[in-house]
Amino acid sequence: MSNIMDSLYNMRLLDDLARQDTVIHKLHPLVKLLATVSYLTVVVSFGRYDIGGILPLVIYPVMVFTLAELPVKPIVLRILLVSPFIIGIGILNPFFDKQIFVLGDREISRGWVTFLSILLKSGLTVTAALLLIATTGMDRLGSALRMLKIPRIFVLQLLLTYRYISVLMEEVARTLRAYSLRAPKQKGVHRSAWGSLAGQLLLRTFDRAQRIYEAMCLRGFAGEYNTGGFGKLRIGDWVYLAVWFLFFITVRFYNIPMLIGSLITGVIR
Amino acid sequence: MSHHKLEVKDLHYNYPDGHEAVKGMSFCIHHGESVGIIGANGAGKSTLLMLLMGVLFPSEGEVSVGDVHVTKKTLPMIRQRLGMVFQDPDDQLFMNTVYDDVAFGPRNYKLDENEVEKRVLQALELVGILHLKDRAPFKLSGGEKRAAAIASVLSMQPDILVMDEPTAALDPKSRRRVMDLLGSFKHTKIVTSHDIDMIYGMCDRTIVIKKGEIAADGATSEILVNAELMEACGLEVPLALQNCPVCGTQK
Repeated sequence: MSNIMDSLYNMRLLDDLARQDTVIHKLHPLVKLLATVSYLTVVVSFGRYDIGGILPLVIYPVMVFTLAELPVKPIVLRILLVSPFIIGIGILNPFFDKQIFVLGDREISRGWVTFLSILLKSGLTVTAALLLIATTGMDRLGSALRMLKIPRIFVLQLLLTYRYISVLMEEVARTLRAYSLRAPKQKGVHRSAWGSLAGQLLLRTFDRAQRIYEAMCLRGFAGEYNTGGFGKLRIGDWVYLAVWFLFFITVRFYNIPMLIGSLITGVIR
Repeated sequence: MSHHKLEVKDLHYNYPDGHEAVKGMSFCIHHGESVGIIGANGAGKSTLLMLLMGVLFPSEGEVSVGDVHVTKKTLPMIRQRLGMVFQDPDDQLFMNTVYDDVAFGPRNYKLDENEVEKRVLQALELVGILHLKDRAPFKLSGGEKRAAAIASVLSMQPDILVMDEPTAALDPKSRRRVMDLLGSFKHTKIVTSHDIDMIYGMCDRTIVIKKGEIAADGATSEILVNAELMEACGLEVPLALQNCPVCGTQK
């Protein structure tokens, strides 16, 4: 049960981080959103054997981490949370794709290369998404999506789902606390109580959601989740976006590690 | 100032399961009045508040604020003038920061962001929690949450404040602070509560509800001392008016 409350506090950590006042945090949310979307597009556009080409893209999260002064550990922990799914997706590749790939004087299966590529790509994309939330916050992100003319119903769904997760978790924590106090010798919830507990939880969450919705309506909510306006894009925002666009395009069309490698080997020769 | 008047005429409400929660209530609350609504559990207090706020619509009768009837069409205007503080502040506070929560109402009414900021800071200062503006609401104490919930309604600058159990689940000092705070407002106030002492200290007028009907409506100083009436409605006279439990001195 304490784990659930811990998770609740941890979940809000990204929101807390988003309230800092660094160079990255001060950027216009729209700019950060566009930079992240283009980054994700470039990362996933690489072929499955092209690990070398992706490597320079590591610079983007490293730069954002540094400039936004974000703590590395909690964000890496969140990336690790999704790693079992990614490993689950990629682990069969080494068994199915057994073609041989020669690296220097070693031979390795191509399956391992694709597995590594999946790990790298997912690691980078999840990091970029987390960094976007940790430097912008969900509410401002919602406003940026609205600026891109994403229909308000989708943005509202996203924001309210994010909000209601904590409502649901609070209800779960309360219910489990009440249960555990009356079942001191049990570890977890006995299966005979699963059905009624889940049912009760669902009904209570409906009730709570209804009250929250009523409270929103009473304060003039009419379908649009207003999170305050933003100023216009400043020169700094444009420069940030332009620099990253240029970098992503360069990385996509030129294999930079290869160029550096041939440059060095050329010099040595 | 008739536009601050709240009038309820022959109000009836049946829940979908057929339970008649409100049976023919009528009263009128004028500008600047502080009205306490009391009654036993299930008497119909919360249903009445929901009807006043237009969350529920009456089966019969009508509610009007000023000279405007509460209907679906007039709701946006009505809700700008009637601010409601919920019993559980957690139902009301759900944004990332206290500031955003207090700004939620004014932003929904499409106010200019400078005006929103002005109102938010003003409301937070009024309830004395300006220093908490960047905190996450779920990390606040019970009293702070209550103050934030009140600020989130004050920022809409309502004419009438409606409060459901504003002192519930508060420690004595927080309760006193909320009472002092509410006492300092010049708004028309409608308060439902089981905290009879709070009603005694804060409201000039009291409406007693029993089984969906108005059992009494009049000056607090007369109604709350009427032990017979209070007993019949499942209530008690305020502790402040009861005999001393230690020495037995009669009040």
